[in-house]
Amino acid sequence: MIGYAARRLLLMIPMLFGIIVLVFLMLNVIGGDQALVLLGQEGTPEQLEALRRELLLDQPLTVQFAAYIGKLAQGDLGYSLFQSQSVLEAVSGRLGATLELAIVALLIAILIGVPLGILAAVRHGRASDIFAMLFAQLGISMPVFWMGILLMFLFAVTLDWLPAIGRGEPLLVAIVDLFRGNPAVLLDSLAHLALPAITLGVGAAAIISRLVRSAMLDTLSLDFVRTAYAKGLGPARVTLAHVLRNALLPVVSMIGLRFGALLGGAVLTEGIFGWPGLGQLSVAAINQRDIPLIQGVVLTFALMFALVNLIVDLAYAAIDPRIRYD
Amino acid sequence: MLRILYCGAAIAALSVGFAAAPTLAQDGDGAITIGADVDAGTLDPRVMRDTTAYRVANLLYDGLVELSPTLEATPGLAESWENPEPTVWVFTLRDGATFHDGTPVTAADVVYTFESILDPELASRWRTLFTPISEIVAADDNTVRITLSEPYAPLLSYLDIGIVPANLVEGGTDIGTQPVGSGPFMLANWERGSTIALEPNPNWWAGEPSVAGIDFIVVPDNTARAQAFEAGDLDLIQSPLSPADIQRLADETDIVADIMGGLGVTYLNFNTQDPLLSDPQMRRALAMLVDQETIVEAIYEGVDVVASSVLLPSWPAYSPDIQQPTFDPDGAVAILEQLGWSDSDGDGTLDRDGEPLTLTLSTHSEDPNRIQAVEYIQNVMRGAGIDAQVSISDWPSFSGAVQNSQHQVALLGWLNLVDPDRLLYGQLHSGGALNWGGYANPTLDGALDRGRTTLDPDGRAAAYQEAAEIIADEVPYYIISYQGYQVFHTPEIEGYEPNPRGMMRSLMDN
Repeated sequence: MIGYAARRLLLMIPMLFGIIVLVFLMLNVIGGDQALVLLGQEGTPEQLEALRRELLLDQPLTVQFAAYIGKLAQGDLGYSLFQSQSVLEAVSGRLGATLELAIVALLIAILIGVPLGILAAVRHGRASDIFAMLFAQLGISMPVFWMGILLMFLFAVTLDWLPAIGRGEPLLVAIVDLFRGNPAVLLDSLAHLALPAITLGVGAAAIISRLVRSAMLDTLSLDFVRTAYAKGLGPARVTLAHVLRNALLPVVSMIGLRFGALLGGAVLTEGIFGWPGLGQLSVAAINQRDIPLIQGVVLTFALMFALVNLIVDLAYAAIDPRIRYD
Repeated sequence: MLRILYCGAAIAALSVGFAAAPTLAQDGDGAITIGADVDAGTLDPRVMRDTTAYRVANLLYDGLVELSPTLEATPGLAESWENPEPTVWVFTLRDGATFHDGTPVTAADVVYTFESILDPELASRWRTLFTPISEIVAADDNTVRITLSEPYAPLLSYLDIGIVPANLVEGGTDIGTQPVGSGPFMLANWERGSTIALEPNPNWWAGEPSVAGIDFIVVPDNTARAQAFEAGDLDLIQSPLSPADIQRLADETDIVADIMGGLGVTYLNFNTQDPLLSDPQMRRALAMLVDQETIVEAIYEGVDVVASSVLLPSWPAYSPDIQQPTFDPDGAVAILEQLGWSDSDGDGTLDRDGEPLTLTLSTHSEDPNRIQAVEYIQNVMRGAGIDAQVSISDWPSFSGAVQNSQHQVALLGWLNLVDPDRLLYGQLHSGGALNWGGYANPTLDGALDRGRTTLDPDGRAAAYQEAAEIIADEVPYYIISYQGYQVFHTPEIEGYEPNPRGMMRSLMDN
C-alpha cells in the first residue's frame, strides 16, 4: 500500500509537467499581450517595449518556457506583477479559503446526498423517492450562480439570518478559539460559510443522492440481502450494514471526482459571496493574462485533485477488503 | 428507521443555517463598509490600475492638488501654485504634512514621484499624462518647479495622483502592498481578495477624520453586491451595477440614491486607414445605422445617456448644439447609394464592382452589454444591406488587435475623462500615441493643440468645440453613450458628496 501510494505520488510529476506545458500552450494560442493589459489603453510605446523586455515577451516561446521551467525547478513559481506578490504568496494566501469552502461543501453534499439516496432506494417508487429525486433534479439543473443569488436573497436579504458576503476567521482558528472558551468566533465563521458552502454543495448532493439510490437499488436485489433478512436481521441493519457498505464503492469514487467539480464551482461561488479564495484569483489571473499566476493556480488545483483521488483510491481498500494494492 | 433518515437529511440541510442564525452581519467596529467589484492589484498610486486602487489610494495618499466633485483643482499637499510662464508651474507645499511613518513630505518626494512615473521601466499607466513635463526640480524643501516642453492646460487635473515617500521606496519598501502616504487614512489591514480596511490618520494635516474607519469589501458579482447592500452587509455601493438592481434600489425609500453622468464614454472606433472606412461619408453612413436610443434604453436600461458629441456634459466645453449623426437608416442607405453601393445581384447585400459590402464589428467578451450592442448594430446594418460580421474576443486579445489597428469598427470605452485632452489628444491627434484608427486631420490637430496649450478656460472650450464639430462631421469616433454613475448608500451616512469619479473623501466626517 505504501509502495502504491509512493508510485502514484511519483506519477504526479509527469502529470503536472504535462499540465504546465498544456496551460502554457493554451495561453499562447488564445493570445493577448500581458504588457498591454498591465499598461492599459494608455501605455506608451517605450513603456510597452520595456515591459515586454522585462517579461521576456520579446523572446521566442521556447526561451520563455525554458526560463519558466528553470525557475520552477528551483521552487520559484514566479512573481505576479498584477498582484504585486510572488505567486507562492498569492496562491498560499488564498488556498486555505478555497479548501475550507470545498471541504465543507463536500461534507454538506455527503450529509444530504447519502441519506437522501438511501431513503429514495428504500422507499423506491413511493412519494419520498419522488421527492428525493425531484430535489436531485433541481440540484443538478440549478446553476451555481443562480442558486447563490437565490439563497442570498432568501437568507441574507429577506430573513436576515446570515451574512451575505465575506469570510469570518478561518475555521481552524475558530475551532481553536472555541476550545479557549470563545464560541462566538466559530459561530461567525460558520455563518459566513453557510451560504457559499450550501450553494456549492447542493449540486454535488444531488448527484451523490442519485448515485447512492441506483447503487442501493442494484444491491438490494442481490441474493445476500434476502439471506440477511432470512437470518432475521432488522431492516435498518440490513440497509446500513450490508446494502450501504456494498453500494458505497462507486459513491466514494464519485465523491473524489466531484471534488474537482467543486473546485471549478468555487470559481463562481467565490465571486458571488466575496469569498477570498483561489477561484476569484484565477478569474482575475486569466483576465489579466497573468501567466505565472495562472500556472500557479492551475498547478494547485491539479495537485489537490490528484491528491484527493489518491486518497479515494486508498479508501477503496478500507471499504472493500477484496481490493489490495501492492 | 425511515424517520431517522428523514430527519437526518433535513437536519443536515438546515443545521448550518440555524446554528449560526443569531449572528449579525454588520461590521462591529463602526467602520463604513463600501462594496468593490475587484480587489486592488497594488496600492502604489504610481502604478495603480483598477478603480478600487484609485479609490483607496485617494484616501491613503495626498496629491499636490485635490479634485472637487466638479473636477476643479483645489489645494492638496500644495497649498498654492502659480504659473509665471505658460510652460512653468511652481507649487508651494504646505507645512506640517507628514507621511504615515512620521517623516515630513518634502519637495524631493514630489520630484521623486513624478520622475519615477516618467521612467518607462516603472510601467506606470499614468506616464502618458505627464510626458509634456520636461523637468521637475525641488527649488527648496517646500517648492516644486515643473517645466513643460509646451504649455499643457490639463496638467492640474492630473496632479491629484498620490505623492509617495522617496526614501522609503528607494530603500526597498514595497508600497504596493504596504502603502505609506500622507492622506487622511492609513492601511489597517489588507486581506487579499476580500477586504481593505483603512483607519483614520491621527496626524493628518487637516485634522484626524472622525469616522471610525472605511472598509472596502470585494464582491465581484454585481447583483450579489447589490443584495449584500440590501442585507445591510455594505453601507455604500456604486457603479458598476446591473441595470435591474439600479432600478430596484432607486425605487426604495430608505436608501439614498445618486444617479449622475459619469466620466466615461462608450464609442465606436473607426479604423480610418481601412480602405472601406477611409471615406468620411462611409463612416457617416455607418454611424447613421447606430440606434443610440434603443442601445441606451433597451440594453443599458437607461443607466447610460445617449451621447450627442465627443464632449461630455460635465465638461465646461460641452455644447448641446454640436451634434454627431443620428439614427437614420434611410439616410444611410441614400449615402451608400451615392457612394456606388447597390444590390445589383439581388442577393440582399449591397455590392460595388462585384464586391459585397462586408464589415466586421468587434468588441470584447467581458461586457455582455457591449456584446448585445454590437449584435444589435449588426442586425440594423444587415437590414440596410451590409454584410456585417461580429467578432468577440476576450479583452487582452481584443485590445491587442485594436491597438495594432487590426480592427475595422471596434466598440469600446474610455474612463476617468477628467479633461477633454484625455479623450481627444492621444486618440485623434495625428501624432497621438493612442490613435489606433489612424485618423489624421491638420485642422483637428490645430484645435487639439490649442486646447492643450491655451490656459484661458473660454479659449479652451472654443478649441474643443471646434474639435467636436470636426469629429461629428468626419466621424473617426462615434460616441454611442455617456456612461452613467450611480451610488447608493444608507441614510446613516451623512455629508457624503457624490462625485463621478467615485472618490470617498467626503465620508471622512461620519
